[in-house]
Amino acid sequence: MRYFLNRFLQLLLVFVIVTFTVLVVMRMGSDGPQALAIKLAGRPLKPEESQALIDQYSLDSNYVVQYLNWLKNLVFHFDLGYSPQANMPVADLLKPRVWTTILLGLYANFFGLLIAIPLAVHQAYRRDRMFDKVGSMATFIAVGIPGIVLGVFLKLAFVVHWEIFPSIGDKVYPWEDLHAHFMNFFLPALTLTIPIAAIYTRLLRADMVMTLQSDFITLASAKGVPPGRVVWKHGLRNSLFSLVTALGTQLGALLGSAILVESLFDLDGLGSQLVVSVLGRDLFTVQSFVAVIVLIVVVVNLMVDLSYALIDPRIRQARALG
Amino acid sequence: MTDVMTPDPTTTIDDQVDARFKKVRRRRIPKFGVMFGTVFLTTLVVLTVLADYLPFIRSPESKVYIDGRLQSNYKLGPGWDAWWGTDGNGFDVFAKCIYYARYTLFIGIASTILGLLLGGALGMLAGYFRGKTDRVISIFVDCLLAIPALVLAIMLVSRLDEIKAEIPFIGWMSRLWQIVFTLSILAIAPLARIVRAQTMALREREFVLASRSMGAGNMRILFREILPNLVPTMVTVAATGLGILIAAEGALAFLGLGIETSWGFMINANRARLEKAWWATIFPCMMLFLTVLSFNLIGDRLARRFDVREAAV
Repeated sequence: MRYFLNRFLQLLLVFVIVTFTVLVVMRMGSDGPQALAIKLAGRPLKPEESQALIDQYSLDSNYVVQYLNWLKNLVFHFDLGYSPQANMPVADLLKPRVWTTILLGLYANFFGLLIAIPLAVHQAYRRDRMFDKVGSMATFIAVGIPGIVLGVFLKLAFVVHWEIFPSIGDKVYPWEDLHAHFMNFFLPALTLTIPIAAIYTRLLRADMVMTLQSDFITLASAKGVPPGRVVWKHGLRNSLFSLVTALGTQLGALLGSAILVESLFDLDGLGSQLVVSVLGRDLFTVQSFVAVIVLIVVVVNLMVDLSYALIDPRIRQARALG
Repeated sequence: MTDVMTPDPTTTIDDQVDARFKKVRRRRIPKFGVMFGTVFLTTLVVLTVLADYLPFIRSPESKVYIDGRLQSNYKLGPGWDAWWGTDGNGFDVFAKCIYYARYTLFIGIASTILGLLLGGALGMLAGYFRGKTDRVISIFVDCLLAIPALVLAIMLVSRLDEIKAEIPFIGWMSRLWQIVFTLSILAIAPLARIVRAQTMALREREFVLASRSMGAGNMRILFREILPNLVPTMVTVAATGLGILIAAEGALAFLGLGIETSWGFMINANRARLEKAWWATIFPCMMLFLTVLSFNLIGDRLARRFDVREAAV
């Protein structure tokens, strides 16, 4: 319990430092609060308008006060600020788009694991055979291929050559129209799935090869446990550690590729909106979007930490004692 | 585990020894992957450095004319006149790809070196002094890892132009250097982690103790004893990292936040015409892919050679 509290405080500290730095980075480099207010609004302001903005976000104070003001609004009012360019609260800008990114992330992880686990188990079980060698080569290439390149190749094949999918994406959610959702989300999800599946496969294979050499596996086979059960139960469960860690560490990379994929396939999501806001110098929106993304990353990493105990009884016990 | 090694009864020991030697001899020839990576990168570097003097590479600023007529609007496909076709403005795609390799490689190498210096220094300090230093540096690294790399890059690149007005000494930063700086920040966190772990292991070794008992100070131990032992790790991670940073540079340019003389920018500029002129998009993609792949292949080989686990994936 103390461990989790410790970890929680640590991640809270990380969240505060990061969001504060983001605020400073976004608001630096303007001459005085008036100029900053105009920049935040993205249009020329009347003096009383800019004064109102300055008062609302205490822009004339130092960054710490500005940050506390921003944090107060976020925590107590769930207020992410106001986007002057879209002319609506940032939260309203965020809400319709956030599901695109979340769905893409879930698809990528789900199908990534669905591909990775059988592949890695089979590779590790039949190590150094043909299947393993070919698989290792394929995953090696798939890990390294840049997101845009993979996306363009898939687009060339499926959209231009075979004409299966529409060339311009449209975000349709599964609860609206399942078929249209599939048509629009398949290629982006595939572009995200291939590298992540390859990474998971490589990690799990490496872990599994080590596990299958340990004594308890030999013991299990020796006492007559059937091979399938040895591999899938004894082997897999004890090899999941780095895979679960990767779920947390790969999230950042996944969100990064989601930005590219959403832009490439014209899916209106968190990532593509972030790019639009950055290019449009919409400072409030960028700041809040980054804060939301950091929050997601931090929370998922905390959950990954918690799940270690579920996988490995030894950790559960060690922590209960410590 | 089901494979039990049983010597074949028909072969003698000598045969087996011979077979082993053959295996060892065969490994002298580098694997296909590394060969490919080295050859591709060498060719690319030679072409891009000598591009001004080679007759078959056009200047990237000169448009392609045939019989006095401008070959704009993707008129020429891949062929003899323009090897990789022409793009919307009538420029030679092949020439652009080769010339832009200069910027890509420069950005990749410069930011890797900068990232190695910063990340290596932080990692060494954290791993060697431990305690409070380690705490502070670890939190800093955690913070860097909490923002997805591309989000951090997008944010920094878009703001550096305005930020540089407020901070002294960085006013000279051009777009190119801003990207180098941003990408090197991305490289800090993973490098610092790996170097820290290695340093922690190294500082407990006997030769460090011996050096200390002979009266060496911290600085001498860090630079003369620990740093040389970190070089293999750093080189390995740098090779793999170069590939990742080049991909990140392409991504930034693709999103319209990088430099315009970049493969990523070409991909973005021509992708709307993928149907009509695949060559203008696919060839820059291939260049980006093969360059990243080459660095990965070399990094993988180095990781095996020096037994660096962390860089394996």
